[in-house]
Amino acid sequence: MSEQELGRTVTTTVNGTEVSRYVLNRSTLAQFLRDDLGLTGTKLSCELQVCGVCSVLVDRSPVSACTYLAVDVDGRQVETVEGLAQGDSLHPLQQAFVEEFALQCGFCTSGFLMMSVALLRKNPDPSEEQIKEYLDGNICRCTGYAPIVEAVQLAASRMREEGNV
Amino acid sequence: MLGSFTVSRPTELEDALRLIGEDSLAYWGGTELFLAMKMQLLVPDNLVDLKAIRQLSDVRRTDSELVIGAGVTHEQIAEDKTVRESAGLLSSVTARVGNSRVRAQGTIGGNLCFAEPRSDLATALLALDASVDFRSATGQRSLTIPEFMLGPYWTAREPEELLVAVRIPLPAPAGVYLKFQFTERPSVAVAAVESGADQPVRVAIGAVSEIPILVTADDWSGIDAAAIAAGIEPVPDLTGSVSYKRHLVEVLVNKAVAAVQAGVRDV
Amino acid sequence: MSEQRSHVGSPVLRRDLFAKVTGSAKYTVDITPSGTLHAKVVRSSHAHARITRINREQALRTPGVVAVVIAEDLKDLFSRFGHIVPDHCILATGKVRYYGEPVALVVAETLFAAEDGAAAVEVEYEDLVALMNPAEALAQDAPLIHEEFYRAATDESFAAMAAAPTPEEEAGERDNVAHTVEIGWGDVDAAFADAHLVVEDGPVHYPMLYAYAMEPYNAVADFHDGQLSVVSTAQHPFMVRTDLARIFDLPLSRVRVEAPYLGGGYGSKSYTKVEPLAAVGSWATGRPVKLVLDVEEAIYTTRADSADVTVRSAFDADGTIIAREFDLVLDSGAYADNSPLVLAKAVNRCFGPYRVPNVRARGRSVYTNTSPASSYRGFGAPQGALAGELNLERAARELGLDSFEIRRRNLVRPGEEILPGKRGIDADLLADLEMLSDSLNSHASADSAIGIGFTASDAGAFPVSTAQVRLQVDGSVLVLSGSTEMGQGSESALAQIAAHELGVPLESVSIAQSDTIGPYERTTGASRTTTLAGLALQRACTDAKQKVAEMAAEVFGVPATDIESIEGGVRVGDKSPVGFGEVISRWFGAAAGEVTGVGLLRRDGVTKKMPPFWEVGVVGVDLAIDPDTGVIRVQQLATVADVGFAINPRAVEGQDLGAATQGLGGALFEELVYDGPQLTNPNIVEYRVPRMQDLPERIDTMIAARGDGVGPYGAKGAGEGTLNPIAAAVAGAVAKATGKWPTRVPLTPERVWRLMNDLPEDGD
Repeated sequence: MSEQELGRTVTTTVNGTEVSRYVLNRSTLAQFLRDDLGLTGTKLSCELQVCGVCSVLVDRSPVSACTYLAVDVDGRQVETVEGLAQGDSLHPLQQAFVEEFALQCGFCTSGFLMMSVALLRKNPDPSEEQIKEYLDGNICRCTGYAPIVEAVQLAASRMREEGNV
Repeated sequence: MLGSFTVSRPTELEDALRLIGEDSLAYWGGTELFLAMKMQLLVPDNLVDLKAIRQLSDVRRTDSELVIGAGVTHEQIAEDKTVRESAGLLSSVTARVGNSRVRAQGTIGGNLCFAEPRSDLATALLALDASVDFRSATGQRSLTIPEFMLGPYWTAREPEELLVAVRIPLPAPAGVYLKFQFTERPSVAVAAVESGADQPVRVAIGAVSEIPILVTADDWSGIDAAAIAAGIEPVPDLTGSVSYKRHLVEVLVNKAVAAVQAGVRDV
Repeated sequence: MSEQRSHVGSPVLRRDLFAKVTGSAKYTVDITPSGTLHAKVVRSSHAHARITRINREQALRTPGVVAVVIAEDLKDLFSRFGHIVPDHCILATGKVRYYGEPVALVVAETLFAAEDGAAAVEVEYEDLVALMNPAEALAQDAPLIHEEFYRAATDESFAAMAAAPTPEEEAGERDNVAHTVEIGWGDVDAAFADAHLVVEDGPVHYPMLYAYAMEPYNAVADFHDGQLSVVSTAQHPFMVRTDLARIFDLPLSRVRVEAPYLGGGYGSKSYTKVEPLAAVGSWATGRPVKLVLDVEEAIYTTRADSADVTVRSAFDADGTIIAREFDLVLDSGAYADNSPLVLAKAVNRCFGPYRVPNVRARGRSVYTNTSPASSYRGFGAPQGALAGELNLERAARELGLDSFEIRRRNLVRPGEEILPGKRGIDADLLADLEMLSDSLNSHASADSAIGIGFTASDAGAFPVSTAQVRLQVDGSVLVLSGSTEMGQGSESALAQIAAHELGVPLESVSIAQSDTIGPYERTTGASRTTTLAGLALQRACTDAKQKVAEMAAEVFGVPATDIESIEGGVRVGDKSPVGFGEVISRWFGAAAGEVTGVGLLRRDGVTKKMPPFWEVGVVGVDLAIDPDTGVIRVQQLATVADVGFAINPRAVEGQDLGAATQGLGGALFEELVYDGPQLTNPNIVEYRVPRMQDLPERIDTMIAARGDGVGPYGAKGAGEGTLNPIAAAVAGAVAKATGKWPTRVPLTPERVWRLMNDLPEDGD
């Protein structure tokens, strides 16, 4: 195998900005975002796609960036927590998470936010049960979850009012 | 951490078939493969990315069967109108596989080929009498689920074969899928289905033993939950001992049968 | 300005949350200085074995590998750490004592190269008998896990914790007991002889747990020019600094340890963990070295002590406790870490917040060939409370009393001593009990099984704390504190206190935390920050105001008695208010300068009597059990936070729900399981933590604020108490529902099914 074949140059759109980088095939999307692009808002924890900490969206679909190849985002759109706020104005989910105390240490939060974005795009008016079902694959060790459910409900109702789904 | 490997990205099925083999593994969502590679259980030299091969992500229905391409994700199956109308049980099963990211990325083909013994899909497809289609550079064949599933992480697929589609005969039987799940994967799963008055009833029991098993009977009175439980060889783990899992099999078979008899469908 | 008085006691939004929701908040793992090398640890594949050979040639030839460090390279250093007993080898020396112990450190230009290099290190072992649990380690013919006896640290607050060698030990008669604690008073034997009822339980097993702070341990170290700088996931950066200074024989002033936001702590990031490894990597290469563990490695770095507890209690006919006797054995793993202190606290806390006239409690912490155990939220209290509270439940049943009534008859009253000579209880547990009873009983249903639990923890640790407040010329305020923000909300609480004390808007207060070049803080643990760091901060604010008043007297040429400190500044006689900034500017004669107020707290005054405060745990659960499967559904969770004063009520509720949820994890799901030399479930797939769908159906987090703490505005610490009695409450409820007495948690579905069906606890 030549050095060349062990990686490739990928061109991808991350939070609306096109970037091109040479990455190794063995690089995960999480490593690419954190180490190559410096987008450290996406965290890593279990690295077995179970905890949800590294959740990001690829072509609007949620993935565990710990078990997704960086080369596989070539030609695709990636969304991370850094892309949620518009300037100084927080995304309704971010605002609701702060208001409902839906985080403490914050390490799981970007994953919860990205999964919640995916959920509300699919289902702008989820029931409590649907929220719990969709977010059950994300672990939070601090809050006991109840405030997260409340935050998603609050954000969903505000986004519906603003027609901003 | 992943080792080093090359990646091929064919756009035509024929090209993919020429590429895959013992050390050159096909992948789609990678939800199973990359975990195995991280644990050094698989150390391929090359990966073949199938995502650009469009024909693998089709869902088609004919008069006699529902054909689901190997690259259709759990989420797509769960949300697909054709699947819901023709094999509603599969919709409800795929809506509850893994977590929402696994459902969004993981495919039916990948799930089956990995042959994780606690796979929800294998159990459900066994109840639905599904078969799987393979292609290779030199030929093609079709296997039933029992012919295909040989053991934990072990199938009849040859290294150069690609699972291209899953076929479910129509009209598909209808019924319920119940599982007991304490951790990431179920400890016991039971699919109970029926097709019509003159057709045998089918109960598939999965996740609990090395491969899913199927029990059929002329009617529901022929399904003896205690006997099924006694005949199962559960694999004990942290979620349950042999005797507890046997007990769960009996409980779930009884519940599933009662639910189907009460007219519950697609749960 | 008077509305600023509401800065404390109101649910202000936590300032750190804004940075955390945008992804801009920096955690240790996000910090990678330029030129950083990456390290990977080669770990032992044996539980107890002599290292016969390490071959690093192949690893050193791996492209990108810069160095492979092993124990023999550390000969010129003090190559061990441990704040109580310095028994912990940085790299295994001569032998390994547990599966997963660091044997070599590979340092490379990239993480990939470090990983490939680590895979190329060859280590050969010669197995020794592995002692995988206390029974094996305490057996007569058991080999020693530690052949050497390590002298205790000299720090006065730990000296009592560290085992002084007995004459037998000095003479070489050693065993695997790492530490022993015994306490007692009264005439226990006489009380048992006279008792109306004696109830025995045990051994009751509390499981080996993993805190699972979601950011695994990591550190980046930079050693150059005789100075060491470390950024790490340390709850106690000052404690880590002490260990690092000893390793490299550096003065404390030449070692800097910073702890940015922590991705969870829960006690598991107390004391030194990976910092020495990263530091020796940098020392060996002369470049910054970053070491990030994965979750499996983190589990093999620190877990919580499991325990087997036997209890015997004696009662009068009316249900009054007359004596209690406890025996606790903690599995502390291969190295002491903080287990001696966990043991001491377990012994202090096991008999509960009850009036017990005669007590005998003995605890032993045992070395085994397992992952080292140390602090975890609750700190010894949950281990003892499980057996102690279950035993009280059994007594209640035999006496014909309900769970609430037996506690009404025995709970200590406000001010009453639990530990003789120590601070009396600064909580009203009877009032808390009635709150709990009202909440649970008013929502009970036909299938409710209600269990409750009470604990009292001598909390706050040793009261040494300092703080600085720097008033800026523009009127803004910079607070420096050594307390770490690990999610508990200290940044926000400290800002609230400073804004309140100085009478300035909350937005004008900035907080800089947890950096040893700033003011000293002993630890961030034992629920102490609000109380002790809060008191130090109040004093710093008072000092700053005093200095400004003196400057104002000089600037305005009036006697100091004419200066009145008011919100945000001073009033000079009957003239208009002058802000802090203006006083500073006038005094320096330029728009420049600042005033620093310093606050010092030691074991004196209000914090003379130990413990600084009691942290009580008051919880109840209402369970429904599926008779077919044994699955427990939590219908109600009720908690009372007896916190004296809630600086931020939403934050207190958040801490309590979080602590209760972690407690439910240990009660229902979580347990690390050894099978042979290694864990069967060192990952989050099989180590089952609470999930969103496990949420109790009804949650009532109550706050009791009676102003009875020594902290600011009558506050006491929170955040741990609610975890402590949860397992006991769950086990008590299961006993009611099944009519059988659990002897261990977690009460997994199978265990409950076995209880219900009279099957042996473990079986095929």
